[in-house]
Amino acid sequence: MLRYTLQRFLLMIPTLLGTSILVFALFALMPGDFFSGDTKLTQERLDQLREAYGLNKPVVERYFTWLGQLLRGDWGFSMQYNLPVSTVISNYIWNSFIVSFGAFIIAWALAIAVSVYSSRHQYSFGDRAITFVVFALMSLPSFFVGLVLIKVFALNLGVMPVGGLITTGSNYTGAAYWFDVIHHAILPMLVIVCVNFGPLTRYFRTSMLDTLGMDFIRTARAKGLSEASVVGKHALRNAMLPAITLLGFRLPALFSGAIITEQIFSWPGIGRIQFESVTTRDYALLMSITMLLACLTIVGNFIADVLYTLADPRVRITRSKEASR
Amino acid sequence: MTLQTSKASRTLTPGGRLRARGFRALAAALVAVTALAGCGGTGNKTASQVSTGNVQAIADETIKATDPSKSPANANKRTDTFVATIKNAGGVFLPYFYRNAWDENLVQPIFASLVVYDKDGNPVGDLAKSWEVSSDNLTYTYHLREDAKFSDGTPVTADDVAFTLTLENDPAYNFGLADFTEIGIQGAEDYKSGKADSISGIKVVDEHTVSVTTEKVNPVALTAIGGYVLSKNYYGKDYKRGQLDYLQQFYDKPLGAGPYTLDKYVPGQEVRYTANPNYYGGKPQIEHLIFKVVTDDTALQSYQNGDTDTDVFTPDPDVLEQLKGFGWSNVNIRTNPYFSYSIFNAKKPYLTKAVRQALYYGLDRKQIVAAWYKGYGEVANVYAPPSNWAYTTDGVNTYDYDQAKAEQLLDQEGWTKGSDGIREKDGKKLTLTYVTKDQTDPMLTIGKDQYKQIGIDLQTEVTDQNTETTRLHSGDYDMITFRTSVINDPYEAVKEFGTLDESVNPEGYDNATVRDLVKQSISASDRDARKPVYAKLYQELSNDPPYLLIGYIKGFNAWNDRIQGGENFFRGTGDAALQLAKLSIKQQ
Repeated sequence: MLRYTLQRFLLMIPTLLGTSILVFALFALMPGDFFSGDTKLTQERLDQLREAYGLNKPVVERYFTWLGQLLRGDWGFSMQYNLPVSTVISNYIWNSFIVSFGAFIIAWALAIAVSVYSSRHQYSFGDRAITFVVFALMSLPSFFVGLVLIKVFALNLGVMPVGGLITTGSNYTGAAYWFDVIHHAILPMLVIVCVNFGPLTRYFRTSMLDTLGMDFIRTARAKGLSEASVVGKHALRNAMLPAITLLGFRLPALFSGAIITEQIFSWPGIGRIQFESVTTRDYALLMSITMLLACLTIVGNFIADVLYTLADPRVRITRSKEASR
Repeated sequence: MTLQTSKASRTLTPGGRLRARGFRALAAALVAVTALAGCGGTGNKTASQVSTGNVQAIADETIKATDPSKSPANANKRTDTFVATIKNAGGVFLPYFYRNAWDENLVQPIFASLVVYDKDGNPVGDLAKSWEVSSDNLTYTYHLREDAKFSDGTPVTADDVAFTLTLENDPAYNFGLADFTEIGIQGAEDYKSGKADSISGIKVVDEHTVSVTTEKVNPVALTAIGGYVLSKNYYGKDYKRGQLDYLQQFYDKPLGAGPYTLDKYVPGQEVRYTANPNYYGGKPQIEHLIFKVVTDDTALQSYQNGDTDTDVFTPDPDVLEQLKGFGWSNVNIRTNPYFSYSIFNAKKPYLTKAVRQALYYGLDRKQIVAAWYKGYGEVANVYAPPSNWAYTTDGVNTYDYDQAKAEQLLDQEGWTKGSDGIREKDGKKLTLTYVTKDQTDPMLTIGKDQYKQIGIDLQTEVTDQNTETTRLHSGDYDMITFRTSVINDPYEAVKEFGTLDESVNPEGYDNATVRDLVKQSISASDRDARKPVYAKLYQELSNDPPYLLIGYIKGFNAWNDRIQGGENFFRGTGDAALQLAKLSIKQQ
């Protein structure tokens, strides 16, 4: 087991390196660089600026310069913000995290509850109604849901703010500050829940149905266990095993920021920063965010694998056998 | 196994089939209702109005609020705060050292300049109470107000101006904002190379007078040299030539002579300012100013809710109706001081004068402008916005849509229509590449169609800003569409026609008469002398067009009636800070 884990851990390094080369090459292929967008600059000035920032050097040289900096802990300097990349990212990434994490908890809790109900009352009116709602929500684009929520809750009822992170001009501290932030985060969270909740529900429902049809459930019932215990403990635990793989991909999603939702709610998140860094060709910022997400994806995958091994003894034994061969 | 049997039993029940049929009927009804809802309504009316191209030029006007008492509670609560909007913020509060264009808006309330442009392109004195330009148009002398102080109480002197200009010409200065390559301050090159320890062209005559000598005649120099003034005592304490990194510590701790000081910056959310009691114009009446980051998607909702006091909206008939419907909002409709255009690649030999004129005649620009700007635009025929002092259409060809004329010109040039309807000459087809960065550009649809009718095959491409600029410089296009930045001095719109230097004139436009006229237009600094030159220039340019001029776009500027003086504040104009200082809140 330990050998397997170690092998997987060491594999991450070449994967990350390969990803960085691919990403850097792709971005370098895009026509234009940071200064191309400024039509007011004269060619003389453009050349001066490019020289100063090393933008006129060949791709390979630029890659190794960047890699060298990164290994020394220097994430680089954002040309667009004229601030260190780490400052820019830290300003925005935790805002995205708040919304993503909240939405994740709500969506998963709701999906599990609904899927348990759905699978136990398969094809009932409740199940069909839920299926309808789920598919309806999946078909609606996120910006539409967002704008409708703003219209209803912010403009008509006046209970929610139109957007932003905090109340304009406010100076709350401590608990009052967090209350204010959460108040502002509710609508963006709801939008993300609406979009993610549907597919999750279907996935968990199918998994639950499969599990409920297995022999050991019939055995558990025959033993006289309460229905709550059968479904809530035995069936759910087994049905949730495939969900661990999903969890692995949740890690990068928590930090990647939902661009459209953040745009609608003027939520100062990392999604828009990342998008803009592409259009402005701010390489340092772009590479840092992309590599951060790539890192999180690979690490998340690794953690999911390990968790799966821990949760399912069958897998643990199989993998130990493979690793020691 | 258990699942399968239960499924099989269900399909056999008759009730199930009936329920399914009922559901299908309901679904069909829903689809029908949605389809009907799509027809009719005000949306279609505007569409048909627009497609005939018969839209009258909408006049610039201010629509006053009909019922200011309806102002939303959220707005009224703010008895001492004015909230304006920005779309983005970089967070570098130091002029000349930011890259995010929105940071210009952020530094305006904090930093005062010597001379700024107002919304109509007229120079207005800020820290400079008066100024003179020498008779050879190369030396600018500014007389500073004696009562000007930075927000910490220290006086603004000519030394601060000299320091600021030296900083902008430092060899390590690597930003696009202060670009003196077309102005050339005397002695700047020697300073940069280390041959001199100060810039000889900058003379501190006395405590309140500074004189700067340039090497190239350029009317833009007045405001370029007279830009934001930085305090030498504050920013220049550790200044050594060639080392500018130390300035990073000041990015979030600005000191300026403007009407407001920085209170707090919440990244990505808002910037808060407090009134500066040491401002030369007197402490502003509104104690707090906030620039809130609001994206286009919820700009109207935020304004409606009273979260913002003013905003700029993309013109749209529906938006105007809503704004008028609020009752408490004033709306100013004005033509923006810039225009959209498509550059003809002068290096392509087949784009002769006749072909370019045919491209004008063969396009219904009224229809294009009406479609693109939803009726809130005007066709442009002159290389200056209508509000500019040099604007005149005297003797200018307006190239009204005339398909027959276009065809005649092309026939005369030897372009004959082939079997597929596209013209050819000497075995080459008249296929033109059109590059734009706006998906909604009507040239992609209407333009392509109209050109096809006269036998031109327009190959269209949509790309982004950076790629467009690269293609402009590489010459990979026949027509490439841009929009100018704000034009204050008319020279800015025509300067590239005055030279063959590829870095300024990448399209390669070559007309000797035009070149002479452009040079002549800046040989005097007096407007009365320059105006007739521009009139002649616009005539020449319309005869031998370097661009396909498209249109002027209008803008909506809306503000809550509770803000007194709001009609003078336009986000982003040169004198925005001066106007901010004069605002006050009407007490309800």
